[in-house]
Amino acid sequence: MSEGAGGAPPPAPARRWRTGPLWLALQIALSGSLLLLFVIPIVALFTYAPFHDIVSAYGDPAVREALWLTFFASGIAVLTAVVFGIPLGYVLARRKFPGRAVVESLVALPVVVPHLMVGLGLFFLVIPGTPGYRFTQAIGFPVYDTIWGVVLVMVFVSAPYTVLASELSFRAVDGRVLEAARSLGAGSATAFLTVTFPLALRGIVAGLLLSWARAVSEIGGLLILAYAVYPGGPYTGPVTSTISVLIYNLFQNGNLTEAAAVSSLFLLFAFALFLIVRLGERSGWVPWRRGELAP
Amino acid sequence: MTPTWVVDRVESDLDGFHLGPVGLTIPPASAVAVLGASGAGKTTLLRTLAGFVPVRRGRILRDGQDISSWLPEERNLGYVPQGLGLLPHRTVEGNVRYPLELRGAADTGARARELLDRFGLGRLARRYPTRLSGGEQQRVAIARALAASPELIVWDEPWQGLDVLARHDLGVVLEQLRETERVPVVVVTHDPGLAFSVADTFLVLSEGRVREQGDAASLLRAPSDPFAARFVGFENVFPPAELIGGTRGSLRTWLLERAGPEGIAFAAPSLPVGPGPGATWSGRVRAARPSPHGFAIELVSDDLTVHLRLPGPIVERAPALGTTIGFAIDPTSLHPLGRRVVASPEGS
Repeated sequence: MSEGAGGAPPPAPARRWRTGPLWLALQIALSGSLLLLFVIPIVALFTYAPFHDIVSAYGDPAVREALWLTFFASGIAVLTAVVFGIPLGYVLARRKFPGRAVVESLVALPVVVPHLMVGLGLFFLVIPGTPGYRFTQAIGFPVYDTIWGVVLVMVFVSAPYTVLASELSFRAVDGRVLEAARSLGAGSATAFLTVTFPLALRGIVAGLLLSWARAVSEIGGLLILAYAVYPGGPYTGPVTSTISVLIYNLFQNGNLTEAAAVSSLFLLFAFALFLIVRLGERSGWVPWRRGELAP
Repeated sequence: MTPTWVVDRVESDLDGFHLGPVGLTIPPASAVAVLGASGAGKTTLLRTLAGFVPVRRGRILRDGQDISSWLPEERNLGYVPQGLGLLPHRTVEGNVRYPLELRGAADTGARARELLDRFGLGRLARRYPTRLSGGEQQRVAIARALAASPELIVWDEPWQGLDVLARHDLGVVLEQLRETERVPVVVVTHDPGLAFSVADTFLVLSEGRVREQGDAASLLRAPSDPFAARFVGFENVFPPAELIGGTRGSLRTWLLERAGPEGIAFAAPSLPVGPGPGATWSGRVRAARPSPHGFAIELVSDDLTVHLRLPGPIVERAPALGTTIGFAIDPTSLHPLGRRVVASPEGS
């Protein structure tokens, strides 16, 4: 074959689509429909509660107490998931033991059980007159209508997400990378800290975010176990409730505008948090995406 | 001083798979190739040496000291798993520094840079492993293994995913390792050609058992069975079943008369027939593939597929397919195959 006989070859025609236009349209239509479903109720909320209402909601001490309670209790719940949920996920991923299927089902249980049932179960365990009540009083963590009750319910409904995500993430770590590290001189604990955990971290963080989201959105169990939260423990303010219970009460009492305003306020907080985490992942300043990004 | 390693009748079990007994002596600066098809137990053998699969019987000796029950991190051998096991969350330099950091070395940076420069990785130091080519990743793996100052390197499928040039480079690196560092190397591969290019001792595994063991000459001189013969590169390997049923004076009968209990093997005879002894046969050409050495010819003679070689510089015209050509087989090139007991276990 001879080349370059007629000078430069003609330029290739510009291609407008990297994928077929029909295929692209289908993707946009399907994913867009779901996104729309997510966005419309939020738009409705913000329409119903103008900006100045949101600002005044934030100025309301009762709302701020509920916000504080919700963020504090959910924070403790996430911390609990870190301390106990990640190790459980690791055990499920790496150890073989009899009754593993039972344990795995138990972990999934809080995800599938209606949360009113969760609240009811805990309620029977800790109401006054039960050994559970006396025990929680004795150790200084009374749970019925206290902040610890909120934490208990939140841990119960949210920790499984961390356990499941940790289990999957630990499983996904390539055993050969781990063996190479061991052979290079890392003991099992060092290999866990320098290889397994950093590689699983991204999935674990995703699980923790889900756990947090589940904790702050909880209402069913709280309606029964900690409908009103009395001062005690780290909470010293007047009687309050979580933000979800507060919104429910406002709605029940017909304060629709205020309910919408508080909801919008909370949405702004939650959205900001998720956005920060995602942007952090993108920019690479969080440690759990190193190696996936350039250079 | 690099120690001598002895694998003394080692047996191990992994998920119902039994390996061994395997006996092997690995002196300083030697290179052992473990050959075998997929599932033969090659990786299990390496992982047993590295301490990830427990030794059930036998011993692994390092200068006479039994280290069979030592933890992987205590053995001081550089195990490079399939896929290399590079840390994806550390840069190239971070990977090479890793074993130095584990040892609490004071000058990790300097030593790491020295190794990076030696393997031509200096300008890639800040990159992450996933952004490297296969050959570059290979060099990171070897630089990292050397950073740990290992007394033995065990490497699973070093040539996997490498192009021809990178394969050549790797061969040079392995050669240097032995000559300058005097670190013995055990490599696993399923490619006899590559094994012959680097190793001086060979171990052919099949279904967890040692089928063949020795240096290149002994392996080529007397392969024990069709599997081993194919494995070490004989082009023409015929088990007895393929030779039975020939007529008097036919190629099959001629070969059967010279075969051992497991059949017969011979390297591709050259075309055209040269002077000297040799029976003359003929066959129909089925394929002719060009190569730097000439043409590799496949023809059918007496229902047997026989491989031949048409040597010399690239010949313009290959024998036409379907034509009948004559060839000869030098009787001295024939290797009767018969099961020998591999005199394997060391130290017995």
